[in-house]
Parts: sequence; C-alpha cells; structure tokens
Amino acid sequence: MVSRDRVESVLDRIRPLMQADGGDIELLDVQGNSAKVRLTGMCAGCPSAHMTLYMGIEIVLREEIAEFEELQVV
Amino acid sequence: MRTVFEFVNVVSRSSSSVIVTGETGTGKEMIANLLHYRSARRDAPFVATSCALFSETLIETELFGHERGAFTGAIRDKAGRFELAQGGTLFLDDIDDVPLSVQVKLLRALQNREIERVGGTRTIPIDVRIITGTKRDLKQMVGEGRFREDLYFRLNVLSMVLPPLRERRDDIPDLVRHFVAKYARTRGVPVPELSPVVQQALQRYQWPGNVRELENVCERLVQTCTCGTVRIGCIAASVLFAAPPKADAVSVAFPQPTRPVSLDDRLRAVESNMIAWALKVADGNKSKAAELLNIKRSTLGDRIIRCGLADTQPSRNNDPQPAH
Repeated sequence: MVSRDRVESVLDRIRPLMQADGGDIELLDVQGNSAKVRLTGMCAGCPSAHMTLYMGIEIVLREEIAEFEELQVV
Repeated sequence: MRTVFEFVNVVSRSSSSVIVTGETGTGKEMIANLLHYRSARRDAPFVATSCALFSETLIETELFGHERGAFTGAIRDKAGRFELAQGGTLFLDDIDDVPLSVQVKLLRALQNREIERVGGTRTIPIDVRIITGTKRDLKQMVGEGRFREDLYFRLNVLSMVLPPLRERRDDIPDLVRHFVAKYARTRGVPVPELSPVVQQALQRYQWPGNVRELENVCERLVQTCTCGTVRIGCIAASVLFAAPPKADAVSVAFPQPTRPVSLDDRLRAVESNMIAWALKVADGNKSKAAELLNIKRSTLGDRIIRCGLADTQPSRNNDPQPAH
C-alpha cells in the first residue's frame, strides 16, 4: 500500500516545473499501489502533453517509491 | 567552437591527415565534410565510413575492396573506400574501433600511398586525404597498447577536439532555434515559441548524445506541439525529468554562479549527511558507524555533537542519505 502522502510528496517535487508553465497536476485517488491524477491548466487539453507527462511522472514515481505500480491520467 | 571553425579555415587547404576527437554526436563527420568542401579537393568525392560498422574481415574489403573470387561470395570486383575516394577525402569514423591487425594494413596504405585489393596482386596508387574520427583519446590508447603508435603518428598531423555540448551550453539556445526552425519548415508549420521553462530544461540537461540528441529533441518538439507554444508537456520525459549528473558522496551540486555560498555550511551538510547515513547503516551503533567512516569512535562522537545530530534516531524514516 502506498500512502497518499508519499505520492503527494513526489508530485510536489514535479509541481513547480509544471506550475511555472501554467499547468498543474491534481492527485485524485490512490488505490493500492496505483494512483490517479488529472492534468489541469495549460497542458490539460494537449494529447502530446498527456503522453509525456504520463510517462515522465510514472517514471519518477517508480523511482521514488519502489512498490509503485500504475499511474492513470484521467 | 569558434576556435574549431577558425582552425578548419586554416587547415582545410592542406592535404594533411586530421584526427577529429569528440564524443558521439558532437559533429565529427560534419567537420570532416566541411574540411573537404573547403579544400582544393572539393570537386573530388568525399567518402565517409564508420569502422565500427563492420567485423574485422569486412573492414578490410570495405576499405581496400576485393577481387572477384577472393572469397566465397565475392562474385565481382569491388572497389574499396580508398579507391572510391580517389583524389578526394576519406573520412574514417570510429577509428578507435579498428582492430590492431587492420591497423597495420592501414599504416602500409598510408605510408606507401598505395593499396592492394583483398585477393588481388595489383597495387593501386591512391591519392586520398585521410580524416579520422574518434570518440576516445587515441594517444591514451597508444599508451595502453590498443592503438599502433606508428599509425597514430601518421594520422595525427593535425588534431582537432570537439567540445561536448554540456561544455558549451551558451550555444544551446542558438542550436535549438536553428533546429526548431528547420523542422517547422519541413513540417510546414509556423515556428513554435518555447516557454521559459522549456528553455531552462533544455539548458540544464546533460546532453549525453550531444548535438545529435539536441536535434532529435527539437524535431520531437515540433512534431508534438499542438498549440503553437512548446510547453513542458512537449519535451521528452527523459529530458525533463532527467536525473541531475550523478554526484558521489563527496561532491555536492554546484551552486548558481551568481549566489555566494558558505563553504563551511556546505561541508557541514556533507558531513552530517555522511554521519547520518553511517549511523543508519550501523543501526545506531556508533562504534560500527565510526568504522564505516574510517574515523575514531571518539571523533565520531564529537562530530555528531558538532553537527547537531545528537538526537538523531537511526530509525527515522527520512534519514538523509548520501547520493550514490
């Protein structure tokens, strides 16, 4: 089980980067070892951004939290 | 880089051999190309080949060619790269990957200015300017016995070193502008703008693949951008989230050049990080921790107090750890 706080603390490290570019990421839910997030702001509607950030954020989460399994971007 | 181009202007007229040393993607072939088209040989062919492409036996036929029937499958005569470059320039990339046995043959060819095809008896005179590319320091390889000294001296009349991109970061914005404009033109879209965050990310990245990697990233930016401004969502995740250059336990991230830092504070931070790490690994056992750090038990006690770590419980979850 991954705690919401741990996921949130990793996301907090990525956030400044996104916020500086007028975007943000919202943690919706943590279930088991997976998390659900939503992109908001500037990059929200862009399919390319979805793909990049989805991959990037998942990589970072897996690096920081060994047992992390899956990231869902909705 | 300007020095490099000035040097190109100076030496391009000559016919001497050149060694271009540079990491992958720094533009070795581009420089070789430039040298050729600035030289008196510009109307003769420029032939480029990578010596890393072929196996030991294939390099030979590739460079020197072969006669019909020289070996199974040699159904017709084939001219080697030396012959193809007759009168012009031959760029041999990855010369550091050429095995010693072929190095002897290369040396002979260069020394006598003539070659023999594999399986042939005819000697063919050659008039070719040789430019070699290498990612390793050939001189060092000579010292290690992996590169023939005589060949090295033959090739090394003129030597150029291309700096890796991370050592000329000032050029990154210009290069990005150039490549983004180039790919926008190919794709037939207006040149997108880059948000400041994107520019910073590109500036910060280590660029292990150098200019080649930068070009690919720019191509990607242009292809993925849907809104006219490249924001962080469009850069490859590997660039955006790349780990900073690995620092070992001793070296710490360098501060911004504009801000003064306290050396003492930095040293204390490193010290307390190391001590906290040792205490954690040693499960709080100070004698063991002192052993790990190669200091006396009493010294460790003093330092713990000095760093204000006296209350550190080794079981704490987020103990600072030295970066590996």
